[in-house]
Amino acid sequence: MSPVTAMYVAQAIHGLTYGMLLFLVASGLTLIFGMMGILNLAHASFFMLSAYFCYQVVAWTDSFWIALILAPIGTGLVGIIVERFLLRKVQKLGLGHIGDLLLTLGIALVISEAVKTIWGTESHQVLIPPSLQGLVTVAGLEYPIYRLFIIGLSLVILGALAFILFKTRLGMIIRAAVSDRDMVSALGINMPRVFMFVFGVGTLMAGVAGVAAAPMLTVFPGLADQIGLDAFVVVVVGGFGSLLGAVVVSLFLGELNSFGIQFIPRLAPVLVFLFMALVLSFKPMGFFGERDE
Amino acid sequence: MRKVLKSVSFFIFLCLTASLFLIGPALAGGEFKLEDMSDMSDFDPNNFQNPTGDTFKIGVLQIFSGPGAGNGELFWITTCWVAHDINKRGGIMIDGKKKLIEVIKGDTMGKPATTKKAAEKLVLEDKVDVLWGTSGSHLALVIQGVADRYKKIFHQSLSMSDSLMDEKNFNKYTFQTMWSTNQVGETTAYFYSQRKKEKKFYIICQDYLFGHSLAESFKKGLTKYYPEAEVVGEDYHPLFAKDFAPYLTKAKASGAEVIFTGDWLPDGGNLVKQARQLGVNVPFANIFIDEPNALSAIGPEGTKGLVNLNQYMGDANNEKGMAFGNKWKELWETKWEAPYNTLLYKWPGGTIGYAVETTYWMLDVFNRAGSSDPEKVIKVWEGDVYKGIGGNRLEMRACDHVVIRDTYATEYVYPNPWFTELSSGTEVFTIPAEKSMPVDGARCK
Amino acid sequence: MNKFVRNLIMWVVFLAVAGAAPHVLGIVKTNVLVELATFALFAVSLNLLLSFTGVLSFGHALFYGVGAYTTALLLYHVEGFPLIPALLLSGLAAGLAGLILSPLLVRVTGTAFAMLTLAFGQLMYILCLKFREVTGGEDGVAGYDIPPLNIPGVASLDMLDSTVFYYFTVVVCVIGIMIMWFFTKTPLGQVVVGIRDNSLRVDYLGYRVRHTKAIIFALSGFFAGIAGSLFALFQGVVSTDGVLHVMVSFYPIMAILIGGIGTFFGPILGSGILIVLEDMIMRYTERAELVTGLLFIIVVLYVPGGFVWLWMGLVARFKARKLRMSKEVEA
Repeated sequence: MSPVTAMYVAQAIHGLTYGMLLFLVASGLTLIFGMMGILNLAHASFFMLSAYFCYQVVAWTDSFWIALILAPIGTGLVGIIVERFLLRKVQKLGLGHIGDLLLTLGIALVISEAVKTIWGTESHQVLIPPSLQGLVTVAGLEYPIYRLFIIGLSLVILGALAFILFKTRLGMIIRAAVSDRDMVSALGINMPRVFMFVFGVGTLMAGVAGVAAAPMLTVFPGLADQIGLDAFVVVVVGGFGSLLGAVVVSLFLGELNSFGIQFIPRLAPVLVFLFMALVLSFKPMGFFGERDE
Repeated sequence: MRKVLKSVSFFIFLCLTASLFLIGPALAGGEFKLEDMSDMSDFDPNNFQNPTGDTFKIGVLQIFSGPGAGNGELFWITTCWVAHDINKRGGIMIDGKKKLIEVIKGDTMGKPATTKKAAEKLVLEDKVDVLWGTSGSHLALVIQGVADRYKKIFHQSLSMSDSLMDEKNFNKYTFQTMWSTNQVGETTAYFYSQRKKEKKFYIICQDYLFGHSLAESFKKGLTKYYPEAEVVGEDYHPLFAKDFAPYLTKAKASGAEVIFTGDWLPDGGNLVKQARQLGVNVPFANIFIDEPNALSAIGPEGTKGLVNLNQYMGDANNEKGMAFGNKWKELWETKWEAPYNTLLYKWPGGTIGYAVETTYWMLDVFNRAGSSDPEKVIKVWEGDVYKGIGGNRLEMRACDHVVIRDTYATEYVYPNPWFTELSSGTEVFTIPAEKSMPVDGARCK
Repeated sequence: MNKFVRNLIMWVVFLAVAGAAPHVLGIVKTNVLVELATFALFAVSLNLLLSFTGVLSFGHALFYGVGAYTTALLLYHVEGFPLIPALLLSGLAAGLAGLILSPLLVRVTGTAFAMLTLAFGQLMYILCLKFREVTGGEDGVAGYDIPPLNIPGVASLDMLDSTVFYYFTVVVCVIGIMIMWFFTKTPLGQVVVGIRDNSLRVDYLGYRVRHTKAIIFALSGFFAGIAGSLFALFQGVVSTDGVLHVMVSFYPIMAILIGGIGTFFGPILGSGILIVLEDMIMRYTERAELVTGLLFIIVVLYVPGGFVWLWMGLVARFKARKLRMSKEVEA
């Protein structure tokens, strides 16, 4: 491979890595919105929380692999607790989006403060496990193993999610609930439990993303801010509740990021929001969205 | 008769010369003397005891809450250190009597509107004698406005924009001891022009005003000192970026020998970390990537070859500076608790060093003015020369209140006398002040 | 008559308290009141959209920012530009922005509207950062002179005097809020309420829904722009983060939610709570996020709909009890 081709291929894989990471965060957000109608402003905070859990588990056990399993589960549990004891109550009050908005913003602030109280304001570091360090060389292209691992991990999660959604009874209920919640409820299905499950899985996936991103980034209290906004764009443009939309738009934004930086670096950040404004102006519910609130 | 006149005039000349030697040191300004420093072994940054009664008050404007609260912690310890030392020496002379130093927090929350409120509260309610801070030029501008309005001295110690002291923004109450972007640009260019090892530079900066003006200054510096050098590419990434890979891949393909970056943390640390993960081993010339906690995660190998440029630098060959550093380190090893027990606080280098140094200077100026009357302080501080911790010369340029000082560059190596967890600088290269000047601000032209 | 007397008393009390405040409180707390008044005007302008067309904007900072930048740039570039024209032009500029965007905005409702306004708000934010030659980027526009208020032949009021500026702000904000209040009473305002409740029916009645909505956008934008202009005059610095950040859009939403949804005065109460809270936090604690976060959670769980509703609920319960007691007495 010539150096120039290698550069383009590398950029494409970078886009894929970031896109998949974004998908892990956005898919949870879109499922939660699509099914429960909740605009979860705390979603990225779960991402950050999981990165901190990861840091802590690594500090205790010295194993990234244990952290990869425990941290997302811990995050998912926190998510379940939040759903069971806070969100569910607020949903019952019937305030609509407005209540969720205030509540989830409140939760995001409390998580941020909790993280600072427990782990301090300084930044923490997580190392790539030794088995994933270094580069692989394929056809003259050097690429870090860890980034390939992120892509692989995300694909596994995507596969598992697709399997649950499209091949199981639970998945069928969830999909049905996305299009018509009341109807499903009328069929005598225990909706609160399904909601709890969806919220737990959504936060768990944000948690996986948090662990995967930790060795590439710095674990610090402001970690949640940026990826949260990007995930929001994905959900909005892809269409609320649409998993397919989340996949497509995440990957598109990932590649837009890579090649935008390669060719039009000055305009890259403007493009994202211009794109969002254009899509929404002409397709208000996003590319793959159906439901109108 | 003529002979008498001649001898008399010679005598007068002698007297004048002698008196110059006597008065000279007194006029020349202050000095940090390590032997005067009090025994700091009882200094506890977690439980700083403010004196009570009629005190001299410093209002520290920083982010003390929210995600950026670490900033506040950092400058809390530096200000309290100086206050503790001076208090044990008996305080400073204000209006004919010795006053102890009290340090009061002003939480800016990193927002302009809150910064204004916090500054006004410090001035009007807490009645501070001097305002101290802050990171972020847009916030520094807000405080400059408050200082101007209520005629209060503002020691601007942390913001770097060249425009802060230009014709439009200058006010006589503000004194900037932080170096500015032009100085950074010239320092970097001069260092590489003397070294003559690398010729191809790539610029990666944060996509906001500061990042862009830093890049401009660096390019200007290269034209001035090192015209043979070439900028092979430049990129600007959003603040708190997540993925630096696309920038690094571009930089690598450009054949750059050095990447110049003005990124502060966490961006700067993530940039170097991801570069090493991607197998991009180009050295980074930087001004903020000297934070040991972030660098220890990259390890000794990955941090080798980084070139740090700074206005204050620990230098193992500087006896005075080293003696001060060792006193600090001793307390760090034996006394301090979280958050002041991490690698960041091990040595008073970089940011910590110049914050401590310039705070000593500020109090020395007030002491020599003998008053907190701004007019008297301005008279002393304008054109003042102070000898810093390492015996280095600090001058407050009278025309625009901006500091003129030598600056430093160092290349990170391993092993080094500072850390076992990471590479760090041993040889310090001094860039003389006249080679790294701030732009001419208000009243200078 | 009874109502008139009650209103009269309320106004007298308000004027007395507002008039005496700066002399009792001192500069720092007077400045907090200035902020409160400006923020209340901003929140009410957002509430105008929410309550009277039923859509929630996530990008109201756009109008606030346009107003603030208009004032700052006018005063920066035009020497001796007078105060009132600067204020009004800023409002008009923001209102114009509302009109320009309205053809796109009127097409959507609900979540889509929120997201579209978020997108425009963010777009404006990033454009302002990019065009740093004009806006000064993150550092913003500073160093402009605040003009005095010249009333020809009467007086020239120095706006740098905190007390004078406080009175000026209060007068502007009260007028602004009153205009919005009376607007809801006019025939046009009633049509607008109709749009929220049943836009199809209003359409059948011969009113043009989209045109009417566009007027609301412009009006809401106008007053948000005035609030932004007051911010610029008060702060003396206008920076992108200060006036266009996404949190600037969220903050008035929070004021509405905490104060009271679906009421006119709720947002004003909410503004008061948030501003006073921020001041308290600045003074007494570094756990800003914990306090604010807990407040949000508690409000949503225990005071759903906001404090105005809590108050009205208490009043209703009190009246019911009085009624019951009087009935018991009769019995």
